[in-house]
Amino acid sequence: MRTERIGDRGDLHRLAAQGLLYRTGPFVIRLQTRLREVTDTFARIYLGTEVLEDPRLAHFSVRVTASSPLRRPWGAQSQFWIDDIPPFEPYPRTHAFPLLEWGINWCIGTRAHRYLLLHAGALERGGRALLLPAMPGSGKSTLSTALAFRGWRFLSDEFGVILPGAATVAPLPRAIPLKNRSIQVIRDFAPEAVMGPVFEKTRKGDVAHVRPPHDSLARQLENAAPGWIVFPCFRAGGTTAVRTLPRSEAFTRLAQNSFNYRLLGERGFLDLTALVRACACFSLDFSDLDQAVAVIEDLASSA
Amino acid sequence: MSSHESAALTAWRQPTSVRRFTAEQWTDALWGAGQHRCLARLSYRIEDAGCANACPEPAWDLLTSARYYPNFLQVRVAREIRHLHRILRARGIDFVLLKGGAYLSAGFPFARGRGMNDLDLMVRRSALGEAEAALRAAGLVTATLNDYDQHYYRTWMHEIPPLHHPERGVEVDVHHRILPLTSRLNPAPEIMWADAVALPATPGVAILSPPDMLLHTATHLFYDGAILDGFRDLLDIDSLIATHAIAPDYWSRLLGRAASLELGRPLYYALYFARRILATPIPTATMEEAHARFAPGALVRPVMEHLVTRVLPPRPRAARAAPVSAWLLYLRSHWLRMPPGLLARHLGRKGLRRFASDSPAADWPPP
Repeated sequence: MRTERIGDRGDLHRLAAQGLLYRTGPFVIRLQTRLREVTDTFARIYLGTEVLEDPRLAHFSVRVTASSPLRRPWGAQSQFWIDDIPPFEPYPRTHAFPLLEWGINWCIGTRAHRYLLLHAGALERGGRALLLPAMPGSGKSTLSTALAFRGWRFLSDEFGVILPGAATVAPLPRAIPLKNRSIQVIRDFAPEAVMGPVFEKTRKGDVAHVRPPHDSLARQLENAAPGWIVFPCFRAGGTTAVRTLPRSEAFTRLAQNSFNYRLLGERGFLDLTALVRACACFSLDFSDLDQAVAVIEDLASSA
Repeated sequence: MSSHESAALTAWRQPTSVRRFTAEQWTDALWGAGQHRCLARLSYRIEDAGCANACPEPAWDLLTSARYYPNFLQVRVAREIRHLHRILRARGIDFVLLKGGAYLSAGFPFARGRGMNDLDLMVRRSALGEAEAALRAAGLVTATLNDYDQHYYRTWMHEIPPLHHPERGVEVDVHHRILPLTSRLNPAPEIMWADAVALPATPGVAILSPPDMLLHTATHLFYDGAILDGFRDLLDIDSLIATHAIAPDYWSRLLGRAASLELGRPLYYALYFARRILATPIPTATMEEAHARFAPGALVRPVMEHLVTRVLPPRPRAARAAPVSAWLLYLRSHWLRMPPGLLARHLGRKGLRRFASDSPAADWPPP
């Protein structure tokens, strides 16, 4: 039987109204929405992703709805639901797609504790994963996107998904939300990147989503072994500086950049230790993307 | 298997039935267990039945992912127990661990995956003041409460205002009895103390005897307002019976203790609804005796049957919630906690506060 993929038929809207089952990395999502602006952007970003057959058990059953125009004739809102519970306050209706993406990330970050979840960009080359752990605003998404268009396979811009035992990093390729000035930076850096619409004045400023490269979505079940850990830090106008990190320091900084390290208790400690031991660890200050990509290139070919 | 009950119930009662679950049944079971925050407990039940491999991958992912948070809470509670033991032992104050802390310390297998948001313990009322002073001297504090709240706890309740250590975070509820001072029922704490079972590893720390443990949970569930989110307490009742009923004199002791503690009615409800909802194995003779001695009148029984079976178990995902039944049970629980005059004053006060602060009262609406 032929596999159906997103984009094969014109009627994703009708499918999504019923419930659209698809995979994002290790997770099966059931998305139900009647909002055409959501399905349009969704179809553009996840083009070519396999549509799974229903009925099937999903990890996360999510919905995005709009407030009734009768109840709110002005300031239309959208709401994210997981298992029939709305975990957040409503967003403006125009921000329904970013809401969907953040909502699914929230579900993963607060529930998928079978994995050690790092707050990190992740890429792969030659079967080995490069992890870019950092706090928001450090240039993690921008640098991950840049590398994705310079020969690295994009795994994630947000989650380092580490399997129990820490010998494996799982891909989680999702829409890459670029914020504010990064949008233009990536347009200049990789004009071939496909981007969704710019959502203005969201809670994180202006946001536009980059579509993960085709190869990245097609190979989203192909895991990688841990290879390198680089802590990026964007400093506008600063010089590029790279430093080898002692493993103890890398461990501490990783623990601070994890969604569930504390929660996993002893297993978190063991897995994080094993991960740090398996990787070469660096910190990287950068302001110029080309230089940052070149430095990582050097690190990856020598370490 | 009937479609008008949640697959979460089916999975709990008969874990091997998950081998034949369809995708829809799994979705319903995981939703129902998730609503009642018992996914982790269900995961151990399925694993103990040798059915882990029979679960589809997303189901086993979700079931095992749910284990980490309760297990994290248990580590915190175990650590808090060690601190309390050290603090209270130095003053020679004995205490009884209640509920989750007791199950954890006793090493009951069913405690695996059980969430523990707070730590309940009981001290003798004569030692209450000194226990509170000792805990405060050791750095435990009360969350800011106004004078009315302080008065409410200290005059009418069965516990002092909750304490916690700012760095350790676990809420510690120090009880001197198991029901409010104002409650309709009046189980004497001295009788429970007399039968408490010492924990050899921690001198001065005890747990309730097996029958009293069940009576406490039954009372909490049916007489102390826990019924609106009470499915996990019903699971405790089911599990406590499975743990203790192997003792030959368990059932006769249980009925006898219920009579001497004046907790016959909550015991009747616990046995009746555990059997009705979870098919807990209870000998027919015990059930008949509990019915004859402790059951409510013929007018009340069908009403409670109607309300409890709508509110207590997980509902199928496709079924509607029963907010009116929940509201009636909420009223019943308050009715049982306080005499009518006091109840009216208390609710009036809470209503005024809600009006004044424009924020909803903490315990209404029910989840």
